[in-house]
Amino acid sequence: MTRAIQPPTPTAWLSTLLLSIGLVQASLAEDTSTDEPYSSQQLAVLAGNCASCHGTDGRLAGAVPAIAGRPASALESRLLSFKRDEIADTTIMDRIAKGYSDEELAALATHFASIDKQ
Amino acid sequence: MSQDNGRSGLTRRQLIQGMGAASTLPLLGGVAPFAIGNQSAGRVVVIGGGFGGATAAKYLKRANPAIDVTMVEPAEVFYTCPFSNLFLGGLRELNAIAHGYDELRGRYGVKVIHAMAEDVDPDGHRVSLSNSDTLDYDRLVLSPGIDIRWDALEGYDEAAAEKAPHSWKAGPQTELLKRQLEGMDDGGTFVMVAPENPFRCPPGPYERASMVAHYFTQHKPNAKVLILDAKDNFSKQGLFTAGWEQLYGDRIEWVGLSNDGRVTRVDANNLEVETEFGTRHQADVLNVIPPQKAGWIADRAGVTDDSGWVPVKAETFESQRVNDIHVVGDATVATPMPKSGFCANAQAKVVAAAIAATLEGSTAPDPYWANTCYSLIGPEYGISVAGVYRVQDGVIASVEGAGGLSPTDAPEATRALEAEYAVGWYNAICQDTWGTEA
Ligand SMILES: Cc1cc2nc3c(=O)[nH]c(=O)nc-3n(C[C@H](O)[C@H](O)[C@H](O)COP(=O)(O)OP(=O)(O)OC[C@H]3O[C@@H](n4cnc5c(N)ncnc54)[C@H](O)[C@@H]3O)c2cc1C
Repeated sequence: MTRAIQPPTPTAWLSTLLLSIGLVQASLAEDTSTDEPYSSQQLAVLAGNCASCHGTDGRLAGAVPAIAGRPASALESRLLSFKRDEIADTTIMDRIAKGYSDEELAALATHFASIDKQ
Repeated sequence: MSQDNGRSGLTRRQLIQGMGAASTLPLLGGVAPFAIGNQSAGRVVVIGGGFGGATAAKYLKRANPAIDVTMVEPAEVFYTCPFSNLFLGGLRELNAIAHGYDELRGRYGVKVIHAMAEDVDPDGHRVSLSNSDTLDYDRLVLSPGIDIRWDALEGYDEAAAEKAPHSWKAGPQTELLKRQLEGMDDGGTFVMVAPENPFRCPPGPYERASMVAHYFTQHKPNAKVLILDAKDNFSKQGLFTAGWEQLYGDRIEWVGLSNDGRVTRVDANNLEVETEFGTRHQADVLNVIPPQKAGWIADRAGVTDDSGWVPVKAETFESQRVNDIHVVGDATVATPMPKSGFCANAQAKVVAAAIAATLEGSTAPDPYWANTCYSLIGPEYGISVAGVYRVQDGVIASVEGAGGLSPTDAPEATRALEAEYAVGWYNAICQDTWGTEA
């Protein structure tokens, strides 16, 4: 379901130029990685929804716990358990986790694990 | 995504304008490489500094700090509608729902202009402001929220709102309603007029009724709440009704459309309303939540349709009518997503990613959105409705099996936890949107 936004012609041309002369934004350079299932831009969009309750980059601690910098394996198994209704006192994360594939949850776990707690 | 008649995100004129004086690169094919002279990766103007606008500005800068982002918002202090009901209920001070723009300016380098956007010229890609400035854009983001339809309910105009406040935009209207509640005699009736769908925050009126009832239990033990509703069903109805019964007994009365609940005339001077079938109700405090539409600047930009709201393309929230203008938040038609601050924030992040990608000439990521609307029925009694959304067959769709309501049979401990998480959510979304540290 990836949908290309048609690049405006001059910008596309310009990007090519910039790439070729090596004056490219770091963020643009990240886009070229092919070994990861999700681009950094895609991960940012996936993870963006988590920030609404866990704070920007998942760093806010409070009634809702911070998720940044926790081990990926712990985050992933927690998310999968939410999704499978295996955690008794859950209020909301069961309803949210069911909206994502196991692969997406794993990618989110890795993403938040890689962010500094601050 | 349409790029009709050869118009692109960046016009040639803009490319040339953007070229810094220091640039020594030759013109190639008559087009100047604008990004080299001033390091700008494109100009985005954001109108509105509420949930959608402030989030869009921040996440554009996070996506690519070289994008030149200017946000236009008249208010220096933004009061959130979320938790304004808690202020009415006496659970929160007004300054605890106030937010500013220091993070956007200081940490992210967004240019924040405190003015009103007065007009949009979509062909010229230009916005004119109340301070006589103009701003050129490659992409425009509109998140103007709602405006009241002052012509939609007989007797309810701007003057009437000074006597019978709507309090559906937070700030002075919220304070007015609070003062009226405090000044009301014990034994009086708070009458709320609730609108048809669609409107900002579907569970909002019923949370407000709950918070007013809570305030009455503390300060006016004999006062009542009467809700006159233009609908037969409302958001989280079963949960609200059960919670009201448990916490407030028969203090709250709800009259739906089928029982002549639809108010057709307001007499703000006498605090009286009349329904469809001629029943008159006398209020001691009258709160009219009137029909709404997208903020008027959306009309100026030519993006609204006959409904008064803005149709958008599902993937990018770009206007269906005007190129290079993206619209987020309450102003849009985004069903099944509700008109919530949570959704405005989520939509803004997807738009920021799409614009950043477009300006770089790369592919926009797939959109993902989520929503959780918490409502407080009492200080320790929270309920919620959630949803996860994606694009399916070109339209926004709820992901099946995800989301839904708090369970009807939950124990008190669960309600208390949800009340705590509501506060956690509020702190997080305000940190994420304005950088406010609670
Ligand atoms: C009582 C109540 C309770 C609510 N509770 C919740 C809740 O618990 N959870 C939740 O998620 N949502 C809640 N909401 C809904 C939430 O307030 C809205 O969905 C949210 O504010 C929408 O964001 P927005 O960016 O579209 O509009 P807003 O947040 O209203 O921002 C619009 C901004 O645009 C500015 N603006 C308008 N026109 C112009 C112009 N021409 N030039 C410059 N600036 C302009 C305005 O000044 C305003 O600051 C509640 C709403 C109400 C009324």
